[in-house]
Amino acid sequence: MRLFSGPILAACAAVWLGGAGSAMADTPATYTEDGRALFSFNVPDFWLLRTGGPREIEDTELGDPRAVARVMGLRPVTDDTVWMGFVSPAGVATIQDGIRYLQDIDKFLVNDPTVTSTSDTRIGGLPARVFRGTGRRDGTGLSFTATVIDLPSNRVAIAVAILRDGANPDYADDLNDVFASFRSRQ
Amino acid sequence: MSLRLFKRISLALGLGAATLTLSACDGVSVGVGYGYDPFYDSMLWNDYYRRDVNVGINPPDRPNRPDRPTRPDRPKPPVAKPPARPKPPTARPPAARPPIHRPSPRR
Repeated sequence: MRLFSGPILAACAAVWLGGAGSAMADTPATYTEDGRALFSFNVPDFWLLRTGGPREIEDTELGDPRAVARVMGLRPVTDDTVWMGFVSPAGVATIQDGIRYLQDIDKFLVNDPTVTSTSDTRIGGLPARVFRGTGRRDGTGLSFTATVIDLPSNRVAIAVAILRDGANPDYADDLNDVFASFRSRQ
Repeated sequence: MSLRLFKRISLALGLGAATLTLSACDGVSVGVGYGYDPFYDSMLWNDYYRRDVNVGINPPDRPNRPDRPTRPDRPKPPVAKPPARPKPPTARPPAARPPIHRPSPRR
């Protein structure tokens, strides 16, 4: 049969295997709290996932204990110019609350943040507010994308993606893939 | 014969150099690790390492930390020597002697 001649078959196999490979290569990670899954996303290949847990951190000078929710950090294995983090703080229910939470932590993440654009979009089928901007950190400029995603059941997911100046622009695709793989697990 | 030896040596040296050159491309470790991760710490709402951030909370008025008390001098050992160990008594117990009177042998 001419349709299944050797080269065509090989090409089909390559496309099939390649497609299946890229679709299955990502590593799903699920953000849970008290055993309850809140959302999940895919860790890109050759990226590190660092996860924490709920705990209290006390400033040694201020003596001001703060409850900290689980923070999941992502970055390429061999490059620290790109970073992405997820957190779902307890008691933050709406996008407006999430924006207030972001305003509280942005000064830690970025020095002199300047928001260049704000947009409403949907991530994983959920309403989200996206802030894009620039800032500085450790003497170098960076651009950031801070996202507040409204999860069902009165929670939000806050995702912050940071690209330092000079980072490989291909990493933006990886970051977009992470956002594209974002799904609520409730 | 010497040409063959030269070939062998050059092959061995060349392979060795190639091995070293190639292995230099492969890093010893896979990545830089998680030693310094500023953004993760920041997302924890953690300002431990950053004193340039105004957290909007004034430090409470607290008395200054008291000075650390000076450590007292170590006690010196006494000058007098401890008494010598007791010596064993000079007198010895009397040596056991065999009895003088023996039972008379049977007849």
